[in-house]
Amino acid sequence: METIGKPLKRRSRIHSSEQRVAYICLIPAFLGLIFLTYAPLVGVLGISLTNWTGLKSPEFVGFDNYVKLFTTDPYIKDSIIATIYFAFLSVAGSMIYSLFIAMLLNRKIPARGFFRAVFYVPFVLPAVAIYVGWSWLYEANFGFFNYLLSEVGLNKILFIADSRYVVPSLSLIAVWLAGNLIVIFLAGLQNVPSVYHEAAEMDGANGWKRFRHITLPCMTPIIFYNLLMSLIANLQVVTPALALTNGGPGNSSRFMTYLMYDQAFVNYKLGYACATTFIIFAILAAFTAVLFKTSNRWIFSEGGDDK
Amino acid sequence: MSEAAYGRLKSKKRSERTANVITLVVVLFFAVLVLFPIWWIFRTSLMTNAEIYRFPPSLLPADWLFSNYEKTLKVFKFWKYLWNTMVIIVPSCLAGTFTATLCGYAFARLRFRGKQLIWALCIGSMLLPAMVTLIPLYIGWTRGLGLHDSYLPLILPYFCGGGAFNIFLIRQFILSIPRELDQAATIDGAGYFRILFSIIMPAIKPAMIVVALFIFIGLWNDLLQQMIYINSSDKYTIALGLTNFRGQLKQEWSLTMAATCLSFAPGVLFYLIGQKYFVEGITMTGMKN
Repeated sequence: METIGKPLKRRSRIHSSEQRVAYICLIPAFLGLIFLTYAPLVGVLGISLTNWTGLKSPEFVGFDNYVKLFTTDPYIKDSIIATIYFAFLSVAGSMIYSLFIAMLLNRKIPARGFFRAVFYVPFVLPAVAIYVGWSWLYEANFGFFNYLLSEVGLNKILFIADSRYVVPSLSLIAVWLAGNLIVIFLAGLQNVPSVYHEAAEMDGANGWKRFRHITLPCMTPIIFYNLLMSLIANLQVVTPALALTNGGPGNSSRFMTYLMYDQAFVNYKLGYACATTFIIFAILAAFTAVLFKTSNRWIFSEGGDDK
Repeated sequence: MSEAAYGRLKSKKRSERTANVITLVVVLFFAVLVLFPIWWIFRTSLMTNAEIYRFPPSLLPADWLFSNYEKTLKVFKFWKYLWNTMVIIVPSCLAGTFTATLCGYAFARLRFRGKQLIWALCIGSMLLPAMVTLIPLYIGWTRGLGLHDSYLPLILPYFCGGGAFNIFLIRQFILSIPRELDQAATIDGAGYFRILFSIIMPAIKPAMIVVALFIFIGLWNDLLQQMIYINSSDKYTIALGLTNFRGQLKQEWSLTMAATCLSFAPGVLFYLIGQKYFVEGITMTGMKN
């Protein structure tokens, strides 16, 4: 951070050429920030106040779209519930799974690099292919999971075709995909100073105590990072709905981003869809803010001089 | 070392070895679980329809019907889809990596007016979820610039720094390179661009490869944007082609799984080639914060 915020005193000719070079280098970033980020953000707000359908010119309707969304929209409530349900299961599942696997891989076992590669494989496969492939595993009559259920004497489940099971079924795929989290956790675990463990062991701390009082506190910054990234990603979930379920059965997998897609690109209610977008944005921002707000309570920093 | 202490050490070693064996067994179990769905998909792609529906299902196909792939390729235009996907991915990766490097260099090394503000705007955009800007961007590209059924709305954003996250990554990496290197070059009379190209870029090659890989994975996994910008079937990418193929052949599971496996293949191939960088890169994102 040392270069940020240094006052630009005594600007000589060299500095003016330095400044010119900097602005040239930053042209792409300027274009991106203006046209791809902040102007569209203002645009969402602006369009959300109109009744634009893309056919005739838009009329200003004030907060009508928002009022409609909160009072008469048949989907938005189910959509928010489905999204949060999915995000909760996926984030919790993938955090526990990936931390557990990373801790196993952090032990001295043979072929560690090979195993790390194996757990990472799902992450490099194209998302659509993964969902199509898993839809066969979840198939109602001959799918692998139903074979397992019949082996243990249980009734068949429709999985992604049953409104009760579709979200947990899709979450299981999301957990399976979490190989990137394993790699990040593993790198974090390798950075936990081994002297702590050795000292604790001498004092007679058992495995669980060492995990609870050394590993976990040292890992909190990385846990926070993984939690934040996977929460933001999972709250924006859309691909499984687009590729497999079309939001169904019923509205059980009509995730928020899918709802927005449906309003804008299937029904061409652009103004209405922008209002939805803004609500989704507010929900995402609220989750992110809560995570940041509570973070200083549980993130452990060594010596407290990180900032 | 006393006899007793030696004994304790020995028994500790032994218990540690037992623990490691248990760990290995558990890891092996989970590794099999992770790979199993992929195997199940692959084995289905080599079976006849009758065999797929047989009960109980077998782990291996009776005879390996690679002819399923020939049948699939007649409908599922894999090579064309792969080519189309690459037409989007290759320029995006190159442009995104290059422009992210330029911007990261400016933020890491150069002094200029408004740096704090621009940097704050950049970091702020990192927290902005991508779906928020989707509709205005769609309107801008199609209505504003008339780019219907075109790859350009998917590619051109990568000419603008490749996203704040990638700029951030490059900047952090450049900050970790000793400044003395630049200073020495300045004394030798090298300009800022010269320093960037002949000193900084070679030093941050791993970070640049990582950025390219991230852009690759992002486009590789995308369906939503490709769906809204691409209409005609001869422009389909792998993601669009597979979604469409599945819709056409709902019950032909062996062919659908063959198409799925074909779509897996390039990702696995790239991964095997660039495994070191994939792992290094993912690690870097977690550590550089």
